Amino acid sequence: MTADADRRIPTVGHFSLWGLGQSEIGMAALTFIVLGLLPIFVSGYSIYILPQYMLFGVMAMSLGLLWGFVGILSFGQAGFFALGAYTMGLAMQLDLGVNPAYIGMLLSLVVGGTLAAVAGYFLFSAGVRATYFVLVTLALSIMVEQIAVSQSEITGGWNGMFIDRMSLTFGALGEISLYDDAPAYYAVLPVVVVTYALLRYLASARFGKVLVGIRENEDRLTALGYNVSVYKTGAFALSGAIACFAGALYGTHASFVAPSLGGVLFSTEVVVWVAIGGRNSLLGALMGGILVSALSNYVSTITPEYWQLVLGFIFIFVIVFFKGGVAGAVAQLPRLWQSRI
Amino acid sequence: MSVLLEAKNLSKHFAGLVANQDIKFRLEAGSIRCVIGPNGAGKTTFISMISGHLRPTEGRIIYKGQDVTDLSVARRARIGIARKFQTPTVFDNLTAYQNIELAVLGTNCPRARRHNRIFEVLDLIRLSDAWDRPVQFLSHGQRQWLEVGLLIAIEAELLLLDEPTAGMTVEETASTARLVQMLAQDFNLSVIIIEHDINFIRDLHAPVTVLHLGRVLLEGSFEDVAANDQVREVYLGHEAG
Repeated sequence: MTADADRRIPTVGHFSLWGLGQSEIGMAALTFIVLGLLPIFVSGYSIYILPQYMLFGVMAMSLGLLWGFVGILSFGQAGFFALGAYTMGLAMQLDLGVNPAYIGMLLSLVVGGTLAAVAGYFLFSAGVRATYFVLVTLALSIMVEQIAVSQSEITGGWNGMFIDRMSLTFGALGEISLYDDAPAYYAVLPVVVVTYALLRYLASARFGKVLVGIRENEDRLTALGYNVSVYKTGAFALSGAIACFAGALYGTHASFVAPSLGGVLFSTEVVVWVAIGGRNSLLGALMGGILVSALSNYVSTITPEYWQLVLGFIFIFVIVFFKGGVAGAVAQLPRLWQSRI
Repeated sequence: MSVLLEAKNLSKHFAGLVANQDIKFRLEAGSIRCVIGPNGAGKTTFISMISGHLRPTEGRIIYKGQDVTDLSVARRARIGIARKFQTPTVFDNLTAYQNIELAVLGTNCPRARRHNRIFEVLDLIRLSDAWDRPVQFLSHGQRQWLEVGLLIAIEAELLLLDEPTAGMTVEETASTARLVQMLAQDFNLSVIIIEHDINFIRDLHAPVTVLHLGRVLLEGSFEDVAANDQVREVYLGHEAG
């Protein structure tokens, strides 16, 4: 019955239907090479600020995992991000004989992952879906901001919290300070690449395929025997851990965290980045995080009053004309080109 | 033959409405059963209680000697009770291959065998040639078959098919009957089918359970049921007449 089955090996194009284009890998490699070489040609403020944008990009990818794979929109990513920054800030005040930044990084993964897992477990197993879940994530953001404001003896309240720049220590082998821009840049870039590669791998693994199945038809997947809420909880926990970890690195890089970092406004911006970049593409989400936040920053220096209006117009433009964001539009280019010839 | 499924005095009430009342039902392993009845007879309610989508108001469901009345839909699917919905419920934006792949990924089929297993199922439901097409572009009949394929792929032992031939051509309906018979004979699967299509039911040569107003009116061969005056009155009557 299956004598000729082996000849029908799924092609590369086949896998693109799992929601993330294979053609993206080349583009991603190019992007990382360009980012890797950038400090050779550029210096100054760009190299100082880019790692922070790249960490925004990592946060954007954490949303891409949820929104792109599973179809769950979250307005809580900035909440996790800020939580990570505060975790790092508090860890840096510890003196345990170990590099406190390492503790902060580890704790941020645990805190973000656990909080998301606990929230996700109760929400998903209770059957909370779609809009209602979005509302709860919105509340998560508000809670983080409010706690950061109210617990001022720990968090510094409205004044925020100052965090030292971390160093990389290698035990007896020595130490690399990340006070200078270039070392800090090269410390953050691998985090971006590894996060991308990890999510990329997950997309082609069983876990990622099941998540796409949830996005496509949750009821069918349940009726095939999958415990859907376990997968959703897993995805949310991973997403929370990534966002929290990125926030921890952001905190030590920016040397400062304030309550607004976890607020609804910033959480909404994250959603806008990913929508503009393209939620079905990890690279789209990453680039949305980097470029749109850079653009916002640039525009805000030109027109401090209207930059959000400008961002809003770009958002509407992209959503109206390219539903899949910029990445979706780019993916359509070859087909468009062929139909012209 | 051993009893695979037994429904003991199943009842389902929605507020005041009686959808199913005191249904007793037995199904042997490797056998096919048609459940027929006019609209509102409680056929889909019955299947939904077997699949776990509805909890019975009263009664128990025994599957392979185990009481499954309180198990979730997913748990039941994992022990072999799987359902095809009334309208084709598949992963529309994924290819036929990916659809079956998702089902196979839920089983403990080893990774090395997965690809062949997927094509085994695709061959069975005659979708091997369309394996790389997004299934939203398949015909209605093909999508119905694909959904049956999903149930085969998770190695279900009891298939609950809710109107599998709805929207099919005459030829598709006939080959669906052959597919169902093959599943029962060659794979020892048990099948409960809700149908309206009289030709399809006749082609299956399987025992028929007639539901009327939520109760079992009669059980017997197609010929017995078709010849029964009461059945003709409540169900076949308006078809013949």
